[in-house]
This record gives sequence, structure tokens and C-alpha cells, in this order.
Amino acid sequence: MAATPEPGEPTKGKPFKLLGILDVENIPCARDSVLYGSLGSVVAGLGHFLLTSRIRRSCDVGVGGFILVTLGCWFHCRYNYAKLRIQERIARDGIKNKILYESTHLDPERKPTTDKNSS
Amino acid sequence: QLGLQDATSPIMEELLHFHDHTLMIVFLISSLVLYIISLMLTTKLTHTSTMDAQEVETVWTILPAIILILIALPSLRILYMMDEINNPSLTVKTMGHQWYWSYEYTDYEDLNFDSYMIPTQELKPGELRLLEVDNRVILPMEMTVRMLISSEDVLHSWAVPSLGLKTDAIPGRLNQTTLMAMRPGLYYGQCSEICGSNHSF
Repeated sequence: MAATPEPGEPTKGKPFKLLGILDVENIPCARDSVLYGSLGSVVAGLGHFLLTSRIRRSCDVGVGGFILVTLGCWFHCRYNYAKLRIQERIARDGIKNKILYESTHLDPERKPTTDKNSS
Repeated sequence: QLGLQDATSPIMEELLHFHDHTLMIVFLISSLVLYIISLMLTTKLTHTSTMDAQEVETVWTILPAIILILIALPSLRILYMMDEINNPSLTVKTMGHQWYWSYEYTDYEDLNFDSYMIPTQELKPGELRLLEVDNRVILPMEMTVRMLISSEDVLHSWAVPSLGLKTDAIPGRLNQTTLMAMRPGLYYGQCSEICGSNHSF
């Protein structure tokens, strides 16, 4: 089962699933992608209608716009999220290694000391 | 709880992200299909002399191929990631029985024990039904552990969803899987191959 969150840790929000499948509350980037997709759909559909006055075709353009904008935002956001995760992992490992190796010969920040006694 | 459990291993994290990616694609395809169904229900147009539809046939051949490639590439990446050689530090053997698991830690000392599920009537308050056992498997965290899985009688399957593991226990065959838990905790799993009347009970 999922680990019980400690006090002070962020808890998972109540799931809100679009079409019963896509949990926009808890999946990173899902909410933003769907919102931008909806905005893109309205802009594309409305713009097409204003230009051509064709209702059915404007609806098609709106749906197409929704799919394309959602997909584009999704890939862009997930790519940045993946980069952020990698950076977090590097930072976490770096902090752990710094604590672990501090004052040992493996400490990368340790300055080499010259031996004054040897002549 | 609905959906996948929180990830404890790096592989499970990757699987969670792949699941999100595929779910988004499924959501978009479902939206498109819903829209097309609504169009079919509201149109009054009838084409009685449609001879060909080259453009739409090209689109609905190429587009699914692209979608499948978009799903297949991350899937294959994770598949090969699971098979990477990672030099485990510890080996634990587990044998499936009807209806319990036995574990052997033989790297440093000979340690064997059986792990039976606690019956519902004997659970203490707060314990989870059908999940608690009398002897738990204790594993080190942030270390690669090799699990050798087999069975003494019928087919079983050793599964821990939080670690992204499910490996069949087949009599006469030794299956291997590796795991790495990134955080301390208590993780549950149930036998995932039907093995008789007390399967997962």
C-alpha cells in the first residue's frame, strides 16, 4: 500500500478524473495541458468560425486544436519535468555524498595539504 | 485506493511516468471518438454515392501508426532498463508453496523461514486484511537485491506492486529479478498466479 504521509508532507489530492480515466489532480502536467488545450480549442474554433462562418467545420477545428495543443503542452511539460527530476536526483545524491564523505580522502572539496616535514 | 501505488524503486517510477504518458494518449483518443460519435448522431447528411476516400484512409492509417510508435518507444526503453546488469549485493531465494512463501538468505549465514498470511480472525486492529504475514522479508534499502524465485508445487507469482515487481514462480525453473528500494517502509504484495483454493487467501 502507499506509505502513510508523515505530518507536514504534501498529501495526494482527491482524484478528479476526466472521462473517468485521466486524474488531472495527481498526474503532473495533466491539469495544465488540458487547460491550455481547452483554451487552444476555443481560440482555434472561434477563430475559424469568425473567418468562415462554418459551424460544423469550426467544431472540427476546435477538437483538432484541443488534441494538438494538449499533446504539445503535455510533451513540453513532461520533458521539463523529467529534466527537473534528474536534477533533483543529482542534488540529492550530491548532498548525501557530501555528508558521507566529509573530511575523508574522498571529499571532493578537500584541499590537498602539503607535507612540510618531508625534506 | 485506486490506481498504481507510490513508487519505491526507480523502475516503478519510470513505469508510473509511462502510465501517465499512455493515459494521456488514451484520453485524447477517447475524446476524439466521443466527438465523432456525437457527430454521427447529429448529422443529417447521407452519402449514397461515395466511391473513395483516399485522404481520410491515409490519415487513419498513418495516425495510429504514429500513436503506436509514441507508445512503443518509452515502453521498450523501460523494458531494456529492467534487464540492465546491476551487480546485486545480496541474493534472496523464495519458494512458492500452497499456500505460503518460504525465504532463504544464504549469502552469509543459512537463514530459512516460512511466511504465512495472517488469517482475518487473528488480525490486530490496524492491520491490513489478506496482506499481513507472520514473518516479513527484511531487505536493505538503496542496495540492489537479487531475488531468485521458484515453486515447490504449482504456479505462483511473487509480486510487490510498489517496487514494480511481478515474477512467476514456476516449478522446475529458477526466475531471477532484481530490486532496489529507495526509501524505508513496509510494502505489501499478494500471490499473482492462481494456485488453488487459498490463492491470495
